[in-house]
Amino acid sequence: MATAPYNYSYIFKYIIIGDMGVGKSCLLHQFTEKKFMADCPHTIGVEFGTRIMEVSGQKIKLQIWDTAGQERFRAVTRSYYRGAAGALMVYDITRRSTYNHLSSWLTDARNLTNPNTVIILIGNKADLEAQRDVTYDEAKQFAEENGLLFLEASAKTGENVEDAFLEAAKKIYQNIQDGSLDLNAAESGVQHKPSAPQGGRLTSEPTPQREGCGC
Amino acid sequence: MSENKVEMSAEIVQNANVQPQQNNPLSRKLNKILETRLDNDKEMLEALKALSVFFTENSLRTRRNLRGDIERRSLSINEEFARIFKDVKEELESVNEDVHAMSTCCEEMTSRLKAAKEQTQDLIVKTNKLQGENHRLEVRAQVAQAFLTKFQLSGQEMAALRGARDSPITEEFFRALTRVKQIHEDVKVLLRTNQQTAGLEIMEQMAVLQETSYEQLYRWAQNECRGLTQESCDISPVLSQAMEALQDRPVLYKYTLDEFGTARRAAVVRGFIDALTRGGPGGTPRPIEMHSHDPMRYVGDMLAWLHQATASEKEHLDALLKQVTVRGVEENMQEVVGHITEGVCRPLKVRIEQVIVAEPGAVLLYKVSNLLKFYHHTISAIIGTSVATLLITIEDMNVLSKKMFFNSLSLHASRLMDKVELPPPDLGPTSSLTQTLALLREVLASHDSSVVPLDARQADFAQVLSCILDPLLQLCTVSASNLGTADMATYMVNSLYVMKTTLALFEFTDKRLEMLEFQIEAHLDTLINEQASFVLIRAGLSYIYSCVQQHSTQQGPLSTLPGMDTSSLKAAMVQFDLPPPPLVFYDCDYSVDQSTDGSVSSTVSPAFQTAWYPNGGVLKIGAVQHSYFGTLPNFCLWIRQYKGTDPHRTEPHHSVERRHYRVFQC
Repeated sequence: MATAPYNYSYIFKYIIIGDMGVGKSCLLHQFTEKKFMADCPHTIGVEFGTRIMEVSGQKIKLQIWDTAGQERFRAVTRSYYRGAAGALMVYDITRRSTYNHLSSWLTDARNLTNPNTVIILIGNKADLEAQRDVTYDEAKQFAEENGLLFLEASAKTGENVEDAFLEAAKKIYQNIQDGSLDLNAAESGVQHKPSAPQGGRLTSEPTPQREGCGC
Repeated sequence: MSENKVEMSAEIVQNANVQPQQNNPLSRKLNKILETRLDNDKEMLEALKALSVFFTENSLRTRRNLRGDIERRSLSINEEFARIFKDVKEELESVNEDVHAMSTCCEEMTSRLKAAKEQTQDLIVKTNKLQGENHRLEVRAQVAQAFLTKFQLSGQEMAALRGARDSPITEEFFRALTRVKQIHEDVKVLLRTNQQTAGLEIMEQMAVLQETSYEQLYRWAQNECRGLTQESCDISPVLSQAMEALQDRPVLYKYTLDEFGTARRAAVVRGFIDALTRGGPGGTPRPIEMHSHDPMRYVGDMLAWLHQATASEKEHLDALLKQVTVRGVEENMQEVVGHITEGVCRPLKVRIEQVIVAEPGAVLLYKVSNLLKFYHHTISAIIGTSVATLLITIEDMNVLSKKMFFNSLSLHASRLMDKVELPPPDLGPTSSLTQTLALLREVLASHDSSVVPLDARQADFAQVLSCILDPLLQLCTVSASNLGTADMATYMVNSLYVMKTTLALFEFTDKRLEMLEFQIEAHLDTLINEQASFVLIRAGLSYIYSCVQQHSTQQGPLSTLPGMDTSSLKAAMVQFDLPPPPLVFYDCDYSVDQSTDGSVSSTVSPAFQTAWYPNGGVLKIGAVQHSYFGTLPNFCLWIRQYKGTDPHRTEPHHSVERRHYRVFQC
């Protein structure tokens, strides 16, 4: 524990969006607690969860904002898109209506976030294969057309849940690496740990050694 | 032996000389010689052998000299022997001498040893004593060592504690500090024993050490906290360990937290202002102030930003204080989060005030108020219920916007009262009523969609309703005041009904609905009475009816009264039986299920019951009753339908709208 002076080198802000009842909160719960929440109450406004995970050898803290899917909260939840580095757009593979609404969610996401925001499409409830209403290929095609990452996951079994968050984080990290994401700009949704105001690109090895700066 | 030989040889010589004599000594001697057996006499043999060595020449001379020779020889041999023996003797003497010397030497040594022994005796005793002493001292040294390890710091630990003033705090520092604390605790044991002086001294020493260490730790932690002014901050494990250690010094602990709070506060304010005015990279997300034309978006974005910032700050604090075990950590955290978020209050307040004061209209004000209430709720879930300035500011803004909202409603109401609209010819609701109800609907709908928890919502309703409905009711009454009784009742029922259907869509309106229901019923009663008397007058039955009403048994049978005889009653019934003039009844454009006709009579208003069955049926005019009802179904059904549509008794809210019907004067 004492070896690393800091717990993580970046913070990525995520937002989870999608229709009511597609399992957004369950995905978050599965991701942060590794448990399935059977009777998940409707989210009021927004809820919040964090987890530190390792992406390409870097410890990254994910700060995840889980929004309410109910229409009446739209006005409130829209305010949470700003400054998100990643957006998880969730639909329910057993309910076509939730898939059909994706374009409106996508419009919101595109309008309210910055162009670098990584959006990943997640077809939740993949465990309910028998009740499938949206095929994998169809959603895959939608994702490709719109330049989204895509995964089918199940908050119940935990399948692909970790990957969903990880894939998005990898993409964001890659954006940082190739410089398309400017870390110095405020509200890029990514915050870099080392406090030294070093300019330009970051080096591959963050050196968060700060204790010695007696003044 | 050699002498013997010599003697014998001499004898032999003599014997030979005296041979002729017999039986004399000589012969005996000879015999004796002859008898000798030389073989057996070894001595003789030896002697002869020895003689043979030097007696080589048997001559006279030699025989004469033999003795001499032998004697000479014997002498020389003896001389030789003596000479040799002398050597031996000398040797022996020297040996003896040596032995003697040795003996003296030994003796000397013994005595010297003895002396030495005597001399060292003392030393040995001393040595023994010293050894004993040594052993005791060793034990004491061990004890002392144990004591030291128990009650004193090692050099390393000391070094860790006394590190250079600005050197970073490390794991060792905390270990040493824990040791100091432990020693300070343990020393109390000493105080209970005889070692009070030592105990006191160590205690004092440890206390001083602790003080300086805490001081150093505090300075370090303070410095560390002071640097946490980035928008995001990661609390290093060492820092949270430092907080854990500092919790023993409440003052330092508090100062450190204050320092942390101040640093974070500055960071949050800067972040907030950046988000408001600068936005993200390349303008996305756009600065929040770009949306200031849209009050909901503007206020919502600001509050959402603050909500997220508050949650982050709470996380930082959680990380900072995760190892602190002292009681009241939760309060501390709330206090510090409150302090951190205090800085943004001013910019937030100014902006929200601007929005509210710009008077964006009642509905928007109401929405803003609800939004504020929602965020008050959401943020207080993070900050806790303590009196944080941010919460107070939000609450203030909520109060302000609500005040402005009610102001706006009252203004609306007073404008209504300023110019009272006359009821329209069809006695339906006036346009100002429908407009105001539309406003109410919008307000209530926005409340419904608001994110405020249920109980908080309920409280608002009463006020909103009384603020809109009371003036409306007043307005209706005033505008109806110039109408005739029936028209007024109809107008009122129509107006009240519109209000009721509007309210029925929303929650928490039961009380109001009930009140409206009562009022509607009262007006219906009026209407029915009006209708009944109209019908009675029209049919010429009013006199009969009043007679029946005023009749008492003392007056005798009804038929004996003037104008109550059978013939005049019959005439009146015929008149009543005629088809009623079309204008009499208020019609309803509602299709009625005919199967309900059978039960019509049971739901007939009590007014009609009184009209036709006073005192349990003195007037037995079944035919009349029947024919009257034949003409009445519309009216009765109207009443019935009205009751049937009571949304609270029979139907869920949403279907009321479809059941809409109107009372019109034909």
